[in-house]
Amino acid sequence: MKIAVENNRNRADLVPAQDVPLDNHYYLNMGPQHPSTHGVLRVLLEMDGEYVVEAQPVLGYGHRMQEKMAEHKNWMAFMPNTGRMDYAAALPYNHGFVALFERLCGIEVPARAEYIRVITSELNRIVSHHLWLGAFLLDLGAFTPILYTFDDREQVLDILEDVTGSRLTYCYFRVGGVCRDIDDKFVERTRAFIKRQRERFEVYNKLVTGNIIFIKRAEGVGVISADMAMRYGVTGPVLRGSGIAYDIRKNEPYSIYPQLDFEIPTGTNGDSLDRYMVRLQEIEQSLRIIEQALDQLPKGPCLGKVPKKLKLPNGDGSFAVEAARGELTYYLVSGGGEIPYRLKIRVPSYSNLSVLPELGRGILLADLVTSMGSMDLVIPEIDR
Amino acid sequence: MHPATEKLIGALRSELSLEVRPCDYYQRGYHYEIEVEAGQLRTLAAILLQEKMFLVFVGGLHVKPAMRIIYQFASYERACRLLVRVPVAADNSLPTISDIYQGANWHERETRDFYGVNFVGHPYLKPLILAEEDVDLKPLLKKEADLKDLAEVSWTAPEAAESKTDQKRAELS
Repeated sequence: MKIAVENNRNRADLVPAQDVPLDNHYYLNMGPQHPSTHGVLRVLLEMDGEYVVEAQPVLGYGHRMQEKMAEHKNWMAFMPNTGRMDYAAALPYNHGFVALFERLCGIEVPARAEYIRVITSELNRIVSHHLWLGAFLLDLGAFTPILYTFDDREQVLDILEDVTGSRLTYCYFRVGGVCRDIDDKFVERTRAFIKRQRERFEVYNKLVTGNIIFIKRAEGVGVISADMAMRYGVTGPVLRGSGIAYDIRKNEPYSIYPQLDFEIPTGTNGDSLDRYMVRLQEIEQSLRIIEQALDQLPKGPCLGKVPKKLKLPNGDGSFAVEAARGELTYYLVSGGGEIPYRLKIRVPSYSNLSVLPELGRGILLADLVTSMGSMDLVIPEIDR
Repeated sequence: MHPATEKLIGALRSELSLEVRPCDYYQRGYHYEIEVEAGQLRTLAAILLQEKMFLVFVGGLHVKPAMRIIYQFASYERACRLLVRVPVAADNSLPTISDIYQGANWHERETRDFYGVNFVGHPYLKPLILAEEDVDLKPLLKKEADLKDLAEVSWTAPEAAESKTDQKRAELS
């Protein structure tokens, strides 16, 4: 059955078409509790048979008003909140928040701390990609890969748990450094993990990448063009799958990224397969970053001198970091004192998901699941 | 300065006669700041899209005398981040840019949720993050006692921590 849905990109009325129901259309709620939304997200679907006419995400089920909380807490009290938005990769959220305060207040960070931040952040990125890889393939009906990726994920979580104290919602970075130094055991285990992970790529490729069923499900599905990405502010691996090599670590380098040699993998077609390939290659690039950072790791303190009461200057500032899902920007406005007057948190999944109404128009429901899976959504981050 | 950035700033100055102020990127995290009136917002957005800038976020800021809406734009190709501040009109409204930048659709709905700003021309200005029954909650509006003056939350030149960060800035540039 073919439907006449015009994929008109200039259509501004991205709204559920419920006011004008057609006789053969029906409505379907995907979520709020649905295995392939990976969290409490509802997608209101207008369907014509198996085809999606309109896909409208309904947000806010996990809304905690993080931005309001930030207006009542000093940086230390808000730190645990930063680890509770993107639960799959919390350390970049830690990083953006402390770096914003460091830049605004002119706090120096010891070199060793910057190295530890980058090493742990990249480990966290790998963990996040492991989680995505398993969950994405589970969405497509492949059960086995998640068992392999979670095995690998456990290896890293154990390493991170030893140094940060938690397995998921990290609160490890501090203004001026990190709260615990890494030891020889950490370095040794991380090196062992790098070796192990490199061997695992072959397993992934044999199991998934070359699998004809996977390719048929992912190739040409959920295409996001470079132009479309720009109109929506798409970032991260989703954007890079569309062939744009935009990565904050290269474009607006922070911490010690300028001193490290790594590449930004990109795709060409902007389909689900490209996004898959980009993330797999990103794991390898993260391994390269960690390897170099471990080789160059300087000695010294891991926490600099920071005043007990950190007074913010009157004014505003933003800080962007490359989180596992794309660009995370904190924007802070201060009227002096310790507590922000306003904190805006720009999260990558929010802008990435906002493509869905346009992306979903006229595609099969099964392809919508593939597209959403390949976007690597984390819902608590979107709802904040 | 990157030629594309130069072209963009030239276009903003000539077509809208805007003052594009360069900022201390190291401390503030953005390169230029622009103040525009509500009437110029849509033209500004059209120019920015033409010059291949993408929308980073839209956020509100409740200050005296008038609420401000903050737009941040950045480039996929080069380090160029613009911060645009727009005071809302007396009737608490701003024109939408969601037909120019479709990504603004959700950001504007969210800003309406939190501040009650009416984005004129928005196709579907219903609660996004908040529940439907909380349509008038406006949780981020400040209480009268906490409300600050715009001057209090603005930079007073020269930037405070400049001397300390000179060296770091040189390393990164």
